[in-house]
Amino acid sequence: MTEQNFWQKYIFSTDHKIIGMQYMFTGMIMALIGGYFAYTFRMQLAFPGTEVFGFGTVSPHEYNSLVTNHGTIMIFWVAMPVLLATFGNFLIPLMIGCDDMVFPRLNRLSYQVFLLSAIVLVASFFVAGGGFGGAWTAYPPLSAQAKYNMTQYGATLWLIAVALEFVAFLLGGINFITTLMNSRAKGMKMYDIPIVLWMIVLASILFMASVGPLIAGAIMLLFDQTLGTGFFDPAQGGDPILWQHLFWFFGHPEVYVVLLPAMGIVAEIITVFSRKKLFAYKTVLYTAFATGVLSFFVWAHHQFIAGIDPRMANVFAVTTLLISIPIAEMLFVYIATLYGGSIRLTAAMLFALSFLAAFLIGGVTGIFLGASGADIYFHDTYFVVAHFHYTFFPIAILAVFAGLYYWFPKMFGRHMSETLGKIHFWGTFIPFNLIFLPLFFLGAAGQHRRIYSYELFSELNSADFQNLRVLATVALIVMLIFQLPFLYNFFASMLRGKVATANPWQANTLEWAAPSPPPHGNFATLPEVYRPPYEYSVPGRESDFWPQHEKPSGESKA
Amino acid sequence: MLRLYVVVALSFSLPVVASPRQGKQTYAFCAVCHGERGEGNHTVGAPQIAGMEEWYVREQLLKFQQGVRGTHPEDIAGMRMRPMARYLQNTAQIEAVSAYVAALPTLKSTSTLKGSWVKGEVHYKLCIACHGADGKGNSQLKAPALVGRSDWYLLTQMRNYKAGVRGNDPKRDPVGMTMRPITMTLDEQAMIDVVAYISGLR
Amino acid sequence: MDLIIEQASSFAADIDMVILLIAVLAGFWFFLAEAVLFYFIFKFRQRKGVKAQYITGTRKEEKKWLHWPHNLIIVCDLVIIFFAIKVWYDIKQDLPPAQEVVQVIGRQWSWQFVHPGLDKQLGTADDVATVDELRVKVGVTYHFKLESRDVLHSFSVPVFRLKQDAVPGRVFTGWFTPTKTGTYDIQCAEMCGMGHGLMQGRLVIEDEAAHDEWLRNKAT
Repeated sequence: MTEQNFWQKYIFSTDHKIIGMQYMFTGMIMALIGGYFAYTFRMQLAFPGTEVFGFGTVSPHEYNSLVTNHGTIMIFWVAMPVLLATFGNFLIPLMIGCDDMVFPRLNRLSYQVFLLSAIVLVASFFVAGGGFGGAWTAYPPLSAQAKYNMTQYGATLWLIAVALEFVAFLLGGINFITTLMNSRAKGMKMYDIPIVLWMIVLASILFMASVGPLIAGAIMLLFDQTLGTGFFDPAQGGDPILWQHLFWFFGHPEVYVVLLPAMGIVAEIITVFSRKKLFAYKTVLYTAFATGVLSFFVWAHHQFIAGIDPRMANVFAVTTLLISIPIAEMLFVYIATLYGGSIRLTAAMLFALSFLAAFLIGGVTGIFLGASGADIYFHDTYFVVAHFHYTFFPIAILAVFAGLYYWFPKMFGRHMSETLGKIHFWGTFIPFNLIFLPLFFLGAAGQHRRIYSYELFSELNSADFQNLRVLATVALIVMLIFQLPFLYNFFASMLRGKVATANPWQANTLEWAAPSPPPHGNFATLPEVYRPPYEYSVPGRESDFWPQHEKPSGESKA
Repeated sequence: MLRLYVVVALSFSLPVVASPRQGKQTYAFCAVCHGERGEGNHTVGAPQIAGMEEWYVREQLLKFQQGVRGTHPEDIAGMRMRPMARYLQNTAQIEAVSAYVAALPTLKSTSTLKGSWVKGEVHYKLCIACHGADGKGNSQLKAPALVGRSDWYLLTQMRNYKAGVRGNDPKRDPVGMTMRPITMTLDEQAMIDVVAYISGLR
Repeated sequence: MDLIIEQASSFAADIDMVILLIAVLAGFWFFLAEAVLFYFIFKFRQRKGVKAQYITGTRKEEKKWLHWPHNLIIVCDLVIIFFAIKVWYDIKQDLPPAQEVVQVIGRQWSWQFVHPGLDKQLGTADDVATVDELRVKVGVTYHFKLESRDVLHSFSVPVFRLKQDAVPGRVFTGWFTPTKTGTYDIQCAEMCGMGHGLMQGRLVIEDEAAHDEWLRNKAT
């Protein structure tokens, strides 16, 4: 192989590992922006009207823009690139034992489009009128007409950025699916594929199947904004509710698009660190399929009170509650996996276990919102905010950290500090609960979302409620401060951490057969697969793990 | 401990004296519609406010806050202004922002109406007593300056007065009430002509 | 729920009952799952010389640990679905006959209410229009006609447990029966632009005499 210069190697690379890291670093930068936005509007809520350190006074217009873009960034520019693209790109070729993606150049294009979308989004904050402030769901007519939203350029750029981001993930998704189906190592049958890869690919399929209508919707909205068409304008014969259907037909599967990879990451980590075989591999797979299929039939639970036919709500309440069954079963499987294990509480394992504990809260609170009768009250309150943060935070933050701590030695060939990792864990997990538990209470008390200041609302302006808001804000600041040890740990370990062996965690899957870090091309000789991925603590064997690529000795044929 | 945070925060949010800095800060709220330089934005129904008299800005903000103005269902732009004014929570903020607005240099606004300057001059005789021959207003009589205001805004307000949308509360808005009988004598074209005449005043 | 926020409509208690039901059922599973999770983490922590067990989770006696919770959750879900839909039906689908009708109009950024006058008929000369203040009589069943003049709004009255989006170009009809007097908040629950967070209304529930008195004052 010819020597590559810096640009070829790191910027215009077609190597799946480098592309994965490009996604990771872009996602990290976007996460910092999203976190800064959260800090700014939480300060406004806790101390209305004060000058926020590092921002200035927050006006109602800016507040809306901050809330909108916090949501957009965290879902489209943090959760998706990190969970799907980073782990998908890095892990798929390594874990199926091949040298690269099937379409490496398509892969590079996918990142470039993604980067462009991120730049367009960031640019939208600085145009005249400021960034878009019509909520991340962008319901028209507010989002469609500048005279209502007052962000003529911000709204259009926001929409273009989101549409570009979809294009990037469509390109990436094709790659993931094709690679998993065609490039598996010799001997790797369907049920030998590690769960995390199944989840990433299922997520890609879900994404690709659901995003089409929304891309069409985004183009229509773009025309409404710029050409004055009336797709969503009732005065011109359009229908604002149509957008909601298109948006949520994508928007709900999107939840599972990020949930499934997170579930997969957690499955890898808890099996390795409890030295256990995954309890009922096929059940996990089937529940994931069931979740994926059901997720296409629940979207209107976001619209119970939006003016849809009330009879429709009954159908969607049923499907929504049904989807709780596969998800609950998946969680039971994970808990059952721990039974009889030998649990090592490393930083990665702590994050993975906290994912289970926290996601359970997110799951059960969802039932309140899926039950149509109860949703009349809870819809658009802080109860919803707390609920989906209890799902998205474990997904996009806890599972991602678990994955980073776990695969860091493979990515960079060095270990992260476990002590700093544990400080980081407790400093993230405890404040996280202190941020969002108060919000459940405030939501149950009738506090609505996206409200700039509660001082005008006599029922919500009591000192006790204000104390809860202050508590959430202070906890957020503490949590943000505790990300500093992580950032230090991450970058310092990259340069000076303890050198990692090829398989430091004694894990079974194929990525640990490659050197740490794997060179371009990954494996010296492509591995072959002889057994399923989770053969830990097999009776009668000396060591408690049995890598997939280890040749069976003599008599037994795998 | 939490209470301490609240107290500290409140002490920041309730400064006693109006400062120019506070005026600028508060104006950031207004700039979204009225523009950074107070030039206004016809699309969202926000008139030019740069250079409006300090006393007039203050009085109108108070009227919006107290629901004297911007509560009539037909006053669409006024109803958008009212919640904004309500967010100014203390007199210091109102004082500061009024001073800031008054200090902004008046900008030449583009004309959006076509009226007869000559006919307008005749009708303007009705206005001279309070607003002055030069249209500069008279603070003693609580008559604001008319020059420098957006023409579409003047027209809308005259329509509002005539229809009883503005100045219809004898108890809380006696000054606005005086505008009503005067606008009653003008038909739509006459109003446009008057506005054309006012726009010509310098 | 009524400890956190008052119930002021005839159906508030029904909604709170569904919420309580879910809290009990979901709470049971939640605490059970968390308890088992933490117990396992503690019980099966790494110990010297103790090797993990090899359990595939494919044998029948192992799978029953999934099947039983699975079936029980389906039962719980069905119970919740039944009550949720029943309450939904009573509130959103099956409107009781109206004694009076009020018109609610959302616009950036205020609520406009048109009350029927002393003749109790909407659309007559003595209607009383107000901005950001809704006045209703306790114990009277109202229908509301909800409209929007510009963007989406959502008419939300937490003490009523009532919420309905307003969509431009459409008129939605809903109902409520106030059950106690007092003054409460009306919020806008759908992002409607810059002033969304300041779009606050007041709900005044009063007895018939006070309401008629108010109407008479408005008429003069």
